[in-house]
Amino acid sequence: MTGRGHETLEHTADMGLRGWGGTPAEAFEETALAMFDLMIDKSGISAEDDYSLSIGGRDLTGLLIEFLNELLSLADVEDSAFVSISIERLQGEGEEWDLDAVIGGIPRGKCRKNLLSEVKAATWYGASVDREGGGLWVAGCVVDL
Amino acid sequence: MKVQVEKIDEFLWEIPRSGNMLVPGRIYADDESMTFLLEESSTKQWDALAQVRNVACLPGIVGASMAMADIHPGYGFPIGGVGAFDPGEGVVSIAGVGFDINCGVRSMVIDITKERIELNRERVAEELFNSVPAGVGSKGEFRLSVPEIDRILTEGAAFALERGYGVEEDLEYVEERGTVAGADPSAVSPRAKERQLRQVGTLGSGNHYLEVQYVDEIYDEEAASSFGLIPDGIVVSIHTGSRALGHQIGTDYQSVLRQASQKYKIPLPESELIAAPIQSPEGRRYISAVRAGINCAFANRQAISGLVRDAFKRLFRLSDGEIRTLYEVGHNNLKMETHDTAEGLRNLLIHRKGATRAFAAGRDEVPERYRRVGQPVLVGGTMGTSSFILVGTEQGMTETFGSAIHGAGRVKSRKKALRDYRGNDVIDDLACSGILIRTRSRKGAAEEAPGAYKDVERVVAIMEGAGVNRRVARLRPMICIKG
Repeated sequence: MTGRGHETLEHTADMGLRGWGGTPAEAFEETALAMFDLMIDKSGISAEDDYSLSIGGRDLTGLLIEFLNELLSLADVEDSAFVSISIERLQGEGEEWDLDAVIGGIPRGKCRKNLLSEVKAATWYGASVDREGGGLWVAGCVVDL
Repeated sequence: MKVQVEKIDEFLWEIPRSGNMLVPGRIYADDESMTFLLEESSTKQWDALAQVRNVACLPGIVGASMAMADIHPGYGFPIGGVGAFDPGEGVVSIAGVGFDINCGVRSMVIDITKERIELNRERVAEELFNSVPAGVGSKGEFRLSVPEIDRILTEGAAFALERGYGVEEDLEYVEERGTVAGADPSAVSPRAKERQLRQVGTLGSGNHYLEVQYVDEIYDEEAASSFGLIPDGIVVSIHTGSRALGHQIGTDYQSVLRQASQKYKIPLPESELIAAPIQSPEGRRYISAVRAGINCAFANRQAISGLVRDAFKRLFRLSDGEIRTLYEVGHNNLKMETHDTAEGLRNLLIHRKGATRAFAAGRDEVPERYRRVGQPVLVGGTMGTSSFILVGTEQGMTETFGSAIHGAGRVKSRKKALRDYRGNDVIDDLACSGILIRTRSRKGAAEEAPGAYKDVERVVAIMEGAGVNRRVARLRPMICIKG
């Protein structure tokens, strides 16, 4: 793993996500993109609407889980398929961590044929946010499909 | 780390108590299944046997941490997992319920010949596909306000019935008559209710389905007769759950129970096994929220069954009396039940994650019409293979707290299924076998290909061989509607 990127991982019933980057924010963005890849085929479509999201957590891993679940929930409430993400701020220490993000989405009604799977929730199973040897930040968890 | 198992008999294995385990682990499997599970345990990151062992470490667990024969890795609990907890000393765990609270199956017997379905196969498929909203982000015709959602959370299937979905007799054949007591709408977040406003009466996606099936084989004449099953008879089965409301309840309480795990110093062998003491404020509130989610799933299946009923009435001019609910039972559940244990009768909080309640003959919870033979257990197969109707046994009551398998159980990950199968090929192959698939997602068809699952015949044979469940009938799919 170098630079930044994401992948999905084999899990018999559900799916593992992994995102990596030079900062926790990049690793979070990439993990979110891995989740979006399960939900929508982005080919031929682009974001039409922006949504703001602010969320907190008790540690970096907790923040990741809260962040991914808030994305799922917000997409449902807005009836939108999310395709892009930018974390504007991610900071914290001790038991107080939070982030602000801007998400790009497209109304589900305009991209029905691109919708792939429904992700029910991000779980704590296999959840982690770690800085690896080379300084790369790696985030991931299992999502319930 | 590889988990050690000991063979008890041909179909039952034990993980002996060791380390922090409070009870042994028990897995229903044959030699071949156990070889697969052990291989997975030693080579894969996700390990169902380790999950059985981890559940055995949770405070207040009674008897054994169990897994039915459809066991495969979940998150925290294995899929197929059953855990009973003492209501005084025990804990309630999110992982033992999951995010699709009270996901389950309703089966309806339709008084129509197999030939009439065969002759009208395309028309039936189109009518059902157009009548029941399915797929990612699908919306139902059931428009609700938040106060009405609150009524669904306390009234369950009865609310959908009041709105004209289905008939009164349906409730007699739904687990708990379609409403559990103790649901508290105030324990469910506004966001969860908001997400559900347009999702009641929708099937969802993934492994959820609506299937028209015929009775292919009868194994137990008396039970089949009691259930109204005849050779070549038509059954429609609906597999879905509490939709977004259930997902949001799980999400909301994940952080609540995580903090409770720390507050009450509950040892967590694994990060998703977060739990709270049943008697703690957090535990009680979570249980009342889960009960609200259970009622939501009951309402959802009642609404869909009403749509299916109306579709068949339109298609074949059937009367309500010619469409009868056989049974409905959940398989992601949390139930307070009374069981006869070595210490006498005990109330226990039973977690079933991908496992079905399977009560034996004589239990008050079994509808009167079936009480002589036992509770029907509805086991979904795959799009191309058989489903089964089983019945609970006395041995099952004592060995598994009256539990059964819920399906075939996945054996290939979705990624591997996508590598191995193409959606169009899966649909074409099934069409050649006389099974018509209607889906909005070709990718979904590949992920759910029959080859991605264990052989349901073998899984059922293990449970029957173990004496825990008994076969009543086998159903073969004719039409399958997927999300």
